[in-house]
Amino acid sequence: MAGLAWADRVAAWDAAVAAVRGCLRARGLCEVTTPVRIEAPAPEPWVEPVAAPPGFLATSPELAMKRMLCRGVPAIFEVAHVLRQAEHGAMHREEFHLVEWYRPGEPIVAVQADVEAMVAAVFDAVAPWRMGPDARPRSWTTIGFFDLLARTTGLALVGDEDDEALARAWASSGLGGVVEPAARDPEVRTLERWTAFFTAVSDAALDPWLTTASAAGQGVHVVDFPAVLAALAEHARDDAGRAVAGRFESHCCGRELCNGYRELRDADEQRRRFATVLAMRAAHGLPALPMPAAFLHDLATLGLPPCCGAALGLDRLLAAALGVATITDATLHLSGA
Amino acid sequence: MASMDVSELRKNAKIELDGQPYVVVDFQFVKPGKGQGLYKCKIKNMITGSVLDRTWRSGEKFDPANVESKQMQFLYANGDAYTFMDNQSYEQVELQKEVVGDDKNFLLDQLQVDVLFYNERPVGVSLPSHVVMEVVESEPGVKGDTATNVTKLAKVSTGYEVAVPIFIKVGEKIKIDTRSGAYIERVNQ
Repeated sequence: MAGLAWADRVAAWDAAVAAVRGCLRARGLCEVTTPVRIEAPAPEPWVEPVAAPPGFLATSPELAMKRMLCRGVPAIFEVAHVLRQAEHGAMHREEFHLVEWYRPGEPIVAVQADVEAMVAAVFDAVAPWRMGPDARPRSWTTIGFFDLLARTTGLALVGDEDDEALARAWASSGLGGVVEPAARDPEVRTLERWTAFFTAVSDAALDPWLTTASAAGQGVHVVDFPAVLAALAEHARDDAGRAVAGRFESHCCGRELCNGYRELRDADEQRRRFATVLAMRAAHGLPALPMPAAFLHDLATLGLPPCCGAALGLDRLLAAALGVATITDATLHLSGA
Repeated sequence: MASMDVSELRKNAKIELDGQPYVVVDFQFVKPGKGQGLYKCKIKNMITGSVLDRTWRSGEKFDPANVESKQMQFLYANGDAYTFMDNQSYEQVELQKEVVGDDKNFLLDQLQVDVLFYNERPVGVSLPSHVVMEVVESEPGVKGDTATNVTKLAKVSTGYEVAVPIFIKVGEKIKIDTRSGAYIERVNQ
């Protein structure tokens, strides 16, 4: 089937980027730029940076933007070009665009409101080139991770289960796909188990529920992620006293669109989490990554102000707004012959 | 044999599993936010033709299948057997219909194909990306029907039926995509 004509693709991309910039500026944010070649990415269990000796190509502008925030800047955003190795699929390309933004001194709901405004702005902006019906979320709702888990699987977890406790709960759930951690260290095994559990349960239960919500015109912010999966977010307790992270994901149009944090500010805690990820990567034989020393130094010496931030997949939003099936149908990046 | 990382998986990749050669016929990559990548594949056993679903996770490894391909030409079908001839040695091989599968729809006499051999046994055919075939049967289009998306069925010389635009007539040649089985365009000759 013929896709969008190239002249229309260009017009739609231009309109979408202008809409994102207009929306965020109108909401009080300033655009910044960060390096594409960096010394060290934030280590993540399953995100593979492209090596660019002596450093890497950025997998996210997060650490660079946080270093600016440590120096006392106001709310900032970037339309960033990022690369992650070996991600190819309907919603994945190795090279893509993240809209990343931070709000010092503001709560996480302010960032969620930005997501909703940006989605609406991009759907409006590309309307002349839309290939199908307008599938934008008609309303947004918020649900806690553990509430969604209980609703879809019946599992009642409290968030600080260790490796063995989570393995027992997983095995009893009938979800299947249980994998043994590769590491020996209990803390590393716990991260591995939670990461694998999250992968399996997202695929089997959470994503289907979120896709159904999308089809009904509902955008969903999944909030209060399990504490072990905090990554760069602060730990907290939810209303039911469960161990959670100040982390959310926004889902709409059948896709995960955005990931946001109430940012972790404790340099020692952040270093411990990075070390756990590096140990997990080593246990899986993944390439070694350096500790992000300059970022941790800034956290420890300058301090990060209380802030919230998020990253939104611009190509995914554009594809949804255009009504095309894959991000490759929306991108301007030609590849291969 | 060098092992293959799951990230090298693509549609049409040939892999070995439990001592059997498989070809990846469908392939989907999903990655729940900050989770592990999942490679959801439909794989076809190249000997039995049976299809199964398998999901691998990022970081897993397996062996590529020892598959060779030879340029051959299709000679004829006889019952459930399809005979091909090596262009160089004139040696003939026979493939059973389970192995040929839906590719039979596009096997014109003398069509040049790649026949795949697993440990020297013929296990499949790799077709050109499109073929040109003659329409042998089709209802005439309804006059005055000028809407752009209207199609009708046309039968081509192998017996395969495909949806075509209404202006296509019996005796005309059309180009068909062998992977999707869909009509591409009319061929003027």
